[in-house]
Amino acid sequence: MVGLSVGEKHFIQGGIAQDLRSDGRKRLTYRPIYVETGVIPQAHGSARVRLGATDVIASVKAELGKPSALQPDKGKIAIYVDCSPTAAPMFEGRGGEELSTELSVALQRCLLGGKSGAGAGIDPTSLVVVEGKVCWDLYIDGLVISSDGNLLDALAAAIKAALSNTGIPKVDVAAETTSDEQPEVNISDEEFLQFDTSGIPVIVTLTKVGRHYIVDATSEEESQMSSAVSISVNRKGHICGLTKRGGVGLDPSIILDMISVAKHVSEQLINKLDSEIAAAEASEEES
Amino acid sequence: MRGLQLPLSQTQRIRLQRALEKLQSLSCKANSDASVTVADTIPVNYEDAFLKGHGTTDLNGDLVATVCGVVERINKLVYVRALRARYKPEVGDIVVGRVVEVSQKRWRLEINFSLDAILMLSSMNMPDGIQRRRTALDELNMRGIFEENDVVCAEVRNFQHDGSLQLQARSQKYGKLEKGQLLIVDPYLVKKSKQHFHHLEQFGIDLILGRNGFIWVGEHVEARDSMVVDQANSSEQSMVPEEKSQTHTPLEMRQNICRISNAVRVLSALGFSIDSDLILETVELSSTVKIDIHDMLGSEFHVLVAEREAERRSLMGKRKR
Repeated sequence: MVGLSVGEKHFIQGGIAQDLRSDGRKRLTYRPIYVETGVIPQAHGSARVRLGATDVIASVKAELGKPSALQPDKGKIAIYVDCSPTAAPMFEGRGGEELSTELSVALQRCLLGGKSGAGAGIDPTSLVVVEGKVCWDLYIDGLVISSDGNLLDALAAAIKAALSNTGIPKVDVAAETTSDEQPEVNISDEEFLQFDTSGIPVIVTLTKVGRHYIVDATSEEESQMSSAVSISVNRKGHICGLTKRGGVGLDPSIILDMISVAKHVSEQLINKLDSEIAAAEASEEES
Repeated sequence: MRGLQLPLSQTQRIRLQRALEKLQSLSCKANSDASVTVADTIPVNYEDAFLKGHGTTDLNGDLVATVCGVVERINKLVYVRALRARYKPEVGDIVVGRVVEVSQKRWRLEINFSLDAILMLSSMNMPDGIQRRRTALDELNMRGIFEENDVVCAEVRNFQHDGSLQLQARSQKYGKLEKGQLLIVDPYLVKKSKQHFHHLEQFGIDLILGRNGFIWVGEHVEARDSMVVDQANSSEQSMVPEEKSQTHTPLEMRQNICRISNAVRVLSALGFSIDSDLILETVELSSTVKIDIHDMLGSEFHVLVAEREAERRSLMGKRKR
């Protein structure tokens, strides 16, 4: 992706070894994160997150649907990510598909929990309107506008911000319905319900370069990585998901070490993100 | 300036606005009609004949700009020089580029021009320093000099008839750049000056301001003989790559490189033209306020630099008067 000369590669690797990266960061420092909410007026909730030159948008769209027969007490949530060709020439045509799928799957794993829906960051039971009949379907779409590494963390942060920005319309159900019929519903356009986003995890990606690992790698640093582990951690410090990329294997002890580091880093990230989201919402109301 | 997207607090926003207004008021007095945005009319003397150049169009008898930029007038020709555009090379410019292809007797370099620039093997100084014809053996050993993705510094030699660009590197100071980082800024920010190679002695760092907006910040290389690696040397290096990778840039030097790089990043984000004095001043400012290297990219330092620049320019203006 990024062409670097031998000298530059060497410089980047040396910087990571010496705990002073090319832009002056330490190994475990994030770039300044910048959140903007309510960027898409048609969506129920949306947010834009920037991490350096990485720029992503997430939008949440809610639709009334029927819950699946197997899980009548749960709503459905779908996460898709699209890589815009404006981000990099390689995303043109079908070029971005592989990365899009990879990101979507990783996000689904980290945010939606298991197949049964247990342990999900977004509680699917809160989406049910009438059990077995009516529920909300959430469509969460991510769009990568500009890519400078660490897309997964940025997307997870954007989804978290978009969900806290989401207002689901209140639904009144007509009382008299027989058990077979689909109940009549009345969607209110004034009252909105907010999500409880406190349980939504953030994703911390630790990229291993040489003997050390770093958070929030730029695309130049990512080109030097041997492997990367993405760990999603919620506010309580519990691990919600874990994915590994890159071909090189990792020693189990390193993974354990990475997890404890990710837990530590995630605390700061969650606090930072929460304050940014609050600031973004405040400025949105102002304007 | 609208491109600058930083999370600013209320006070920071006001301070930045004040600094920018001050800057604008200073520059406006000199030539207010020089910079245009799309649909601005360009004042011309209609009695004289004039030629419409790039970025201009005729609208209801007025000459109107179609791009944002600076109005340039050369004799009869009136055109707009766009700011956020690709680099337009001039003969003699010093540029920094990245090798994209090694082909027969030439390297192709990406220099942010609309075409790739060409560096011929014959316009390079040979490793042994002897003036001679290039043999087939030299041609085979081209990768020993520059490989793909290498960062190379060269000078614009001339334009070919087909519009492509030829470079030359006929001096010890040109050549491969290692141990440092390449920064890319908008080409219009780098103004032509007498000196584009800067050896910052107090830091032991080389700063190369390529006219194409590629800026190299790296460790100082003495005499720059190493750019042309002769055969014996290169085989030696390939034998001991492990040993070589142990010798990292010293930490102090790296801190200086990062500080200077971040100064360049801040200046380019603010849209100030980049020269070595301004970079050094910004670096000094960052050390005097004892800001962490990474925090230089935060909003507070951006505001600080803008204020400082406004002050500096107003002082300069007073001195002139």
